[in-house]
Amino acid sequence: MNRNRHLVALGAASIALAAACQFEPTIVELHYSLNEEAIQSNNLLADDKNAQEHLSGALEFLFGTATNPSYVVLPDWRDEEFDPNNWGYYLLSDEEFDALKESNAWTYRVQIAAIEAGDLDAVEEPRYAGDLWARFQSLVADAPDDLDEPFDEDDPEWSYRDELIAVFESYYPNQRTTADLYRQQCFHCHGAEGGGNGSTADFLNPRPRDYRPGTFKFTALKDKAKPRHADLVRILKEGIYTTAMPSFRRFSDAQLNALADYVRLLAIRGETEILMIADFDPDEGMVPELLQENYELVVDRWRAASDSMIEYDGDVPRYDDHDAAERITRGEELYLSEKAANCVKCHGLEGRGDGESVKNNPDDATDDWGDPIKPRDLTRGVFRFGRRPIDIYRRIYAGINGTPMPEHFGMQIIDPETAETRNMTEDDIWDLVFFVRSLSDEKPVVHTETEEHGEASH
Amino acid sequence: MSQLKHFLFRITVAVLFVLVPILGVYTFVKAPEWRLWFPENVSSYGDEIDGLFHTITWMVGITFVGTEGVLVYLILRFSKKDASKANYTHGSHVLELIWTAIPALLLVFVAFSQMSVWSKIKINLPDGEYTAENPFMEVYGSQFDWRVRYPDADKNFSGADVIESAFDIYVPVDTKIVFRLKSRDVLHSFFVPKFRLKQDAVPGMNIPVWFEAEETGTYDLICAELCGWGHYKMAGKVHVLAQDEFDAWLEGRREALYSNGSED
Repeated sequence: MNRNRHLVALGAASIALAAACQFEPTIVELHYSLNEEAIQSNNLLADDKNAQEHLSGALEFLFGTATNPSYVVLPDWRDEEFDPNNWGYYLLSDEEFDALKESNAWTYRVQIAAIEAGDLDAVEEPRYAGDLWARFQSLVADAPDDLDEPFDEDDPEWSYRDELIAVFESYYPNQRTTADLYRQQCFHCHGAEGGGNGSTADFLNPRPRDYRPGTFKFTALKDKAKPRHADLVRILKEGIYTTAMPSFRRFSDAQLNALADYVRLLAIRGETEILMIADFDPDEGMVPELLQENYELVVDRWRAASDSMIEYDGDVPRYDDHDAAERITRGEELYLSEKAANCVKCHGLEGRGDGESVKNNPDDATDDWGDPIKPRDLTRGVFRFGRRPIDIYRRIYAGINGTPMPEHFGMQIIDPETAETRNMTEDDIWDLVFFVRSLSDEKPVVHTETEEHGEASH
Repeated sequence: MSQLKHFLFRITVAVLFVLVPILGVYTFVKAPEWRLWFPENVSSYGDEIDGLFHTITWMVGITFVGTEGVLVYLILRFSKKDASKANYTHGSHVLELIWTAIPALLLVFVAFSQMSVWSKIKINLPDGEYTAENPFMEVYGSQFDWRVRYPDADKNFSGADVIESAFDIYVPVDTKIVFRLKSRDVLHSFFVPKFRLKQDAVPGMNIPVWFEAEETGTYDLICAELCGWGHYKMAGKVHVLAQDEFDAWLEGRREALYSNGSED
């Protein structure tokens, strides 16, 4: 009797355990939600559920859904042959396209090797590439037994095998597949609509970026321009060191380009939404003309991004230039002087990011996303958008979008040496770059005045 | 009738036990075909690591097949219904000595036979251009990132011309590469399967690691120490280039440091 009871208990426990193992994670279908914060700022809209529905519908019309995103193409764009749905793909230069093919060839090396060997059954389904797999499958269904037969009768040189390999090598994901990749890799921090409000966001410091205001910190641009495609891809490739944003290099170039496209779509969607919310008038409802106007305005800003590139016309100065030591000294004066660059106010006397404005912040000032302001500790040698001189130059030149770091080029200063009032020049910015880097480099200056005669020739 | 039943039962049990070593051996024979075996080796000391593995696999395999054989024999021999009653014994000193001494000798053999390989790979760095004080590069693990730093022309690791790159490591072929492995936060492990190289990165330690790749190509780098939720994200690549290609790459990266921004 006793023994039976034990057996029953054991059986019940086994069934319970087996039932627990049957747990299957369900895939939650994503939906874009409205920007609640922005809606709360417009009382008229906040109380009008009907208008909110309209706004949702309008945004869905322009940008599709979270599982099937797609831009509406305006008639003007059709004439210009501009299609935002293929944005990144058409930005690629020939060299970039070759690099993309090389990256695909590595990512799908196992599949390509199997095709080369003629063993189509051995081709494994690649991860995160549903559209690629569907295309391959449809070709395989029609494939002849001899893969060396020409794919197209007009072109005997191009065999079926070549075509199958090209499916993998020339792959560029469509927006639907990219939205799925975003769901798996980015959603948990950045949220479905890119609001920086995913489920892990609360645990991160700094918080993940909210794309919706359309402000991006790290670009190579001035005038608060929108980031270029290349800026977004660079962040995806390099990550942002010392933050939770990792490098996504394990994905192919094609996938990263497509992800940058999708981030751009979310940002454009978010900004259009914010403009529509601000413009909302209950008497008129969601005006289609206004919708088109705002949509076009935002897209045009993104299209114009590369016009604002910061390039330096001369040779970038180096530590082994003969005047490097003076540059550091001049940079330090600019850094410390209240009437000049006044970096000391935030970055502190020793560059540790502990200036007066941090210690004494009576208004609890925040950045544009409502997060505390943390000036960079310049002594650690960690520069989030690159440590090349030109990267630091660009940060000082144009400031950092959404933060109190201002644009310095052309800023009115009082020259620390001559006490004249003048505007800040490119040369001043290089002096600051030299000084900033000397805070973290072990060995800042190689050449002094006396050495110059001997070996200043490089 | 019952005798036949008992006979069938004995045979069934014996066959089941015989299947264990047979399937085990079969799995090992088929493993390379099923892509469960080692990836190809491209490093100079990989064969020695594989040799250690093979030695131990053979020792364990032979012992396993042998004991399974004895087990099956005992099952058949002592499961007869009319078998005589078991008798009580205090054991046999001779047998105990044998089955203690043989494994002990085997363990001593294993311990000694791996010492030279271990010291070659983990203790004594090779003679060559790069040393622990003057390494080829520094590799930092952090949550969840591999970052590599190449020194400037003066072998300095924090000067202006230091080259830093995420996840992609470039090295020349046929060169004894000594590098420093560091961690910025928690334990990570630098694992390149095709180099047969696995080394923990420990916070606060500067661990010198070396390898010599013998074939050009691109190889997977992964983190082999569970380091947090994003552990799986720490997948990088090691690119082994011919010396002249590597020099050109390095030169290109040095030039790119002083880009005026027109090309990016």
